[in-house]
Amino acid sequence: MMTVLSDALTIAGKDLRSEFKTKQTISMMAIFAALVILVFSFAFDPTNNAVKAVIPGLVWVITVFAGILGLNRSFTSEQENDCLTGLRSGPIDAASIYLGKVLANFTIVTIVQLISIPVLFVLFNYRFTGSLLWFVLIILAGTLGFIIVGTFLSALSANAKNSEMLLPVLLLPLLSPLMIAAVQATRIALENENIENAIAWLQLMSAYDLLFFAACLLLFEFIMEGS
Amino acid sequence: MTYLLMGYSAIFTLLAVYMVILGKRQKQIEKEIKQLEEWNSEI
Amino acid sequence: MIKIKNSGPIDRILFYILVPAMFINLYLIFIWSPVERMMGEVQKIFYFHVGTAWVAFLAFFVVGVFSVLTLIKPKMERFIYAGISAEIGVLFTTLALTTGMVWGRASWNTWWTWEPRLITTLILWFIYVAYLFVRKMDGSWEKIAKLSSVFGIIGVINVPIVFMATRWWNTKLHPVVFGEGKDQTGGGMEPEMLATMFFSLFTITILYVFLLRKGAQIEKMREVIKKAKNNVINKIAS
Repeated sequence: MMTVLSDALTIAGKDLRSEFKTKQTISMMAIFAALVILVFSFAFDPTNNAVKAVIPGLVWVITVFAGILGLNRSFTSEQENDCLTGLRSGPIDAASIYLGKVLANFTIVTIVQLISIPVLFVLFNYRFTGSLLWFVLIILAGTLGFIIVGTFLSALSANAKNSEMLLPVLLLPLLSPLMIAAVQATRIALENENIENAIAWLQLMSAYDLLFFAACLLLFEFIMEGS
Repeated sequence: MTYLLMGYSAIFTLLAVYMVILGKRQKQIEKEIKQLEEWNSEI
Repeated sequence: MIKIKNSGPIDRILFYILVPAMFINLYLIFIWSPVERMMGEVQKIFYFHVGTAWVAFLAFFVVGVFSVLTLIKPKMERFIYAGISAEIGVLFTTLALTTGMVWGRASWNTWWTWEPRLITTLILWFIYVAYLFVRKMDGSWEKIAKLSSVFGIIGVINVPIVFMATRWWNTKLHPVVFGEGKDQTGGGMEPEMLATMFFSLFTITILYVFLLRKGAQIEKMREVIKKAKNNVINKIAS
């Protein structure tokens, strides 16, 4: 158990170090998120007061769209120079490869969110009045679920030639319950409504996270064997 | 009434389309079998 | 010579049950069963709507079962059954959605409402179209069998969660876990209607089993031919 964790940390450290060396994925994702915000500001006039209603949705739209960009690279980058074969033939559990990738992707997407969500609030002139703690908790729970399923499917679709196109098609329908919960909970947290309602959604998100984490951890072995 | 007709015609059209697709696959396979037999007789 | 296993006695029996059952079913729906007082004739879509929706969920459950079996022990047959079942599932989900839309248009005057069952069915449709895309990947069948089974299992796990989430969403944030939703049948049903409904369920399930067996036979034949072709090519080459 401890070796699985320490191996996972090693793999996550490797991914993050190579990422921080070039900072290419993170900067691309952040720019892409900003561009999505820009396009949305044309679609919904930000000076309009009613636009506040779409802010919770936008938070998740930019997270998912920018996140998919990063997830696409997560496993296809390992295919260059046959790194994936090296990882597989090493004395590591498949579970720790998965865990390591989840940790690395989670860190990267969280960093992108740290940049893009404030940008969203500034550009849409949104004054944050809700409770910050709940907001952060909801964002983290939602992002974790997204990364858990996303990393798994990224490994799955990396086997295909058109993996960049396959990943969103596989991922988005599976994410739908999480997104419903995340958007509703974010809306409640931002509008400072009765927080008890958000807790029900947060429970749903945690259940989703746990269930899919267990399923993906168990099934990841088959993906690694298969490719 | 028109809606009822619309619904049922949609059902039977789609079912028929799927059966046609299955039939096409079967035809394709029969063609391949013929080809194989020709090859076999050549050997 | 290549031996081709054509439809066996079970298929013939299924076929001879299916054809008369379909005609009896249509007779029951259009002539025998009473006309609903509130909705009128349009209510007769209901019988096929429920039947196709039930088969759609059944087909996806079958995909899940065969996916688990494939992972336990990869066998061509299991892989084929999972694929054909997903295909038929997509077909019946499409049927359930279209009949649902027509009925909705007739009785609520909208083609689409964001009602939990509708959303669940729609998302189910997307998941299994994605599943068919996974199967279209190139590579050895063992590899695709593993990948698609993994996706099939994840997809099946997702369905109840989608239903829960959409239900909570729809009831405006007041969690109901189980219980009565919006009753689509319009209150109590007359016994004739209930009988017709069950007969439709029976007929459409038979149709599903028939199509499943037919499709699987064709796919199996295709595999046999592929092998035979390779043999012939090897013979010619050597």
